[in-house]
Amino acid sequence: MIQVESITISEFRGIRDLTLDFKGKSFAICGPNGTGKSGVVDALEFALTGNVSRLSGEGRGDISLKQHGPHVDRRNDPDKARVSVRVTIPSLSKTVTIERSLKNPAAARVVPADSAVLEVLRQVEAHPEIVLSRRELIRYVIATPGKRAEEVQALLHLDQVEQVRVGLQKIANTCEKQLVPLDTAVKLARENLLRALGISELQKEKVLATANAQRMSLSLPALMDLTETTSLKDGMATPGPAQPQRIPKAQTLADIRATREALAETCSDDTMKGVVEVSADLNVILGDPAVAASVKREAFFTTGMELVEAGACPFCDTPWDLGELKTYVQAKLDHLKEVSRKRRAAEIKIAPLIATLRKVQAAINSVVGYAALASPPLALKAAHEYSVHCEAVIQRLNALLPIAETITVLANVPIIPQIILDEIREFDQVVAALPEPTKRDSARDWLVVAEERLENWRDALRKQKIAKDQVLGTRQISDIYAAASDKVLAGIYADVEKDFASLYGFINREDEDKFKAHLIPSMGKLGFDVDFYGRGFFPPGAYHSEGHQDGMGLCLYLALMKHLQGGNFTFSVLDDVLMSVDAGHRREACSLLKKEFPNTQFIMTTHDQIWLRHMRTEGIISGRSAVHFRNWSVDHGPTRWDARDVWTEIEDYRKENDVRAAASLLRHYLEYESAELCHRLRAQVEFRGDAQYQLGELLPPAIMRMRGLYRHAKEAGNSWNQREIIEQLAARDAEFAKLAETSNAEQWQVNVAVHYNSWENLGKEDFAPVVKAFRDLLGAFTCALCGEYLRVSPEREASESIRCECGKTMINLLKKSA
Amino acid sequence: MTTSPASKGTSDVPGQVFEKFLQALNDAYAPAELVARLRKTLLEEKKFTERALKEAVLPEEPLP
Repeated sequence: MIQVESITISEFRGIRDLTLDFKGKSFAICGPNGTGKSGVVDALEFALTGNVSRLSGEGRGDISLKQHGPHVDRRNDPDKARVSVRVTIPSLSKTVTIERSLKNPAAARVVPADSAVLEVLRQVEAHPEIVLSRRELIRYVIATPGKRAEEVQALLHLDQVEQVRVGLQKIANTCEKQLVPLDTAVKLARENLLRALGISELQKEKVLATANAQRMSLSLPALMDLTETTSLKDGMATPGPAQPQRIPKAQTLADIRATREALAETCSDDTMKGVVEVSADLNVILGDPAVAASVKREAFFTTGMELVEAGACPFCDTPWDLGELKTYVQAKLDHLKEVSRKRRAAEIKIAPLIATLRKVQAAINSVVGYAALASPPLALKAAHEYSVHCEAVIQRLNALLPIAETITVLANVPIIPQIILDEIREFDQVVAALPEPTKRDSARDWLVVAEERLENWRDALRKQKIAKDQVLGTRQISDIYAAASDKVLAGIYADVEKDFASLYGFINREDEDKFKAHLIPSMGKLGFDVDFYGRGFFPPGAYHSEGHQDGMGLCLYLALMKHLQGGNFTFSVLDDVLMSVDAGHRREACSLLKKEFPNTQFIMTTHDQIWLRHMRTEGIISGRSAVHFRNWSVDHGPTRWDARDVWTEIEDYRKENDVRAAASLLRHYLEYESAELCHRLRAQVEFRGDAQYQLGELLPPAIMRMRGLYRHAKEAGNSWNQREIIEQLAARDAEFAKLAETSNAEQWQVNVAVHYNSWENLGKEDFAPVVKAFRDLLGAFTCALCGEYLRVSPEREASESIRCECGKTMINLLKKSA
Repeated sequence: MTTSPASKGTSDVPGQVFEKFLQALNDAYAPAELVARLRKTLLEEKKFTERALKEAVLPEEPLP
């Protein structure tokens, strides 16, 4: 997507004013801890995405980008905190400047701001994973499968995929839940129909036989078939409006019996047992105030989750990032999983009680309807109120909350007020006292009631079928989605798995070249097992060392990025990544980045100079593509080991007569540069296990090595009979020897009077030639054209040549074979 | 080392999943209107809430 040419940072984090020129190439930022390296990383992330992940997200407490992003002295002036980057977009062949201030992080000033440029920058902004820190690295490796899946999903932007999966599942589940009362309605309608028909099984032949018997009484033709539209009373004259509706005696008596049975079931032992069990479960929940409160919260969060749609909290309208808000609410719901389980268990036990109440309600409604046909009409007021009460109880049991109220309501379920039973008994007596209808009237009553109930049953079946179709449809959609997403993700994971194993095997090719790994996606989780020296597959943290795990984290990240961005993976920031990798594998890690990601610009931070050298020798970075911070202060921010800055600073100290400070800085700078020289020239230094070398242990070997190399070069020139070259080398050697002698460095071991420890005792005028001598001496180690230190090639085995970065200096060290 | 060749990348993984899903629905002879509604919701409007999905999957109110 992009490559960064340069960055200018002002009053941002711990940096006052800093410009780094990356030139679109990989770049290293080296320096001890606390010198401002991560400030540069934060600035890069901020310029490209408008955010600093270290200052935002979970666990950051009261720290915020706007408040704590500016330099501490500019905390009340966020507009002064600015970062500007110049980037190239290879696909557009354009160079673009992006500038942001902390006053309004989201508003980037982009020049030029044409639509193609803005689209690329939008994509960059959407991929903050271009910045990888060590603390993030390990998230991919030693995490629980669920957590790892979250991390990888975040990297692959799978949150939307997961959101849709959960959404479709919930819709299917909701449809299934809605089917339950419809099933009950069908069952009740069927029982009512059977009661009206006076048969025990709903078989076509039996229905036709019993209906035709009644029809024969009315001289109606027999029905030959029973289809979905057949009317049992087909051909029967409709009673005129003046004709009062009669109580169908036989059916009413049957319904009264059914009502009594339903009421008896309501206060049966089974119902009592169910009530006692559910009440006990709910009392347990209620007895623990924390759990009870959690049930309320769980219901609240679940509802809230469904309402989260825009970028604001649905409760208080506080602006939120939609994804962050959902993650936040989901995390709260995840903590309440046990509560959810208890609630679901109670709901399962409550379901039969609700079915019983529905049965009572339906039976009473039927009887109340017939009572209204009595002459004079009977209201059955208590029974009607009890039916209404049943509906309220069903609603309460369905809602479950508040639990205390549900428990109270439950306790009353098996209690049937006597007045209801009395009303029904009285109505039973009224119906029984009715004169027996004629055969024709009886047949007419029978057909009217049977047809009405047949229609009720058909209607209930239709509703049930629609609901079942919805269940099947939504479940099928959910399953198809799950299968499709699994297939896509399995393909991605298979590729990532292969690349990961290959990348890691490269870094560890000495002993794990056959390394394999398994990424195992399952139900929203992502298992990760790795081969351990052919002994089997285990979690990464089981047997591999921390260093190996860091390597795995980097390789998994690189494999994921490769699949996520493909050829667009042109920029990445590796902040302190791989610091725990053992020295033996760092070179390979550098080689991997160089070989496998040749088109990616890596900005890398490290506090380890050895790492920096590995980066250079493996060719990830060139000689000048690095900055070395030497210290940091709150007033000035990071200070770098920049030759121009250092010599100016030394001169400033000297002029202020602070020779002590000037001498200290000169010594530290020479130590730093001498180490680099010894490395480049392959000088012989007395080994120290603690790697703490002093100036006197480094600079003299570097000088001796340089002189020895000139001697070898002259001998080689002599063997090739290259007179001109020999003369040039002799001149260089003589000049170098003169400068070395002026510095007195070679005499430190034998002449204490000229030792660098005595510099701080010199006057400012006496110290001036010392500074000049060492500045000239360091210059003698460099190429006159590119200014880079000379180096011996190759890095190991026999020395073949002295070279520089630009290629102008090329001195042969190999003699002509005899 | 044999890593897979660098490709265009799968930057829009969700888009890839949604396309595959809609194709699978077509293959399963799902109603064209349903597929069109889901395409609009997921790929055009980029709405992923349960409510938006419900409107696409069950355009009429589900039964009480």
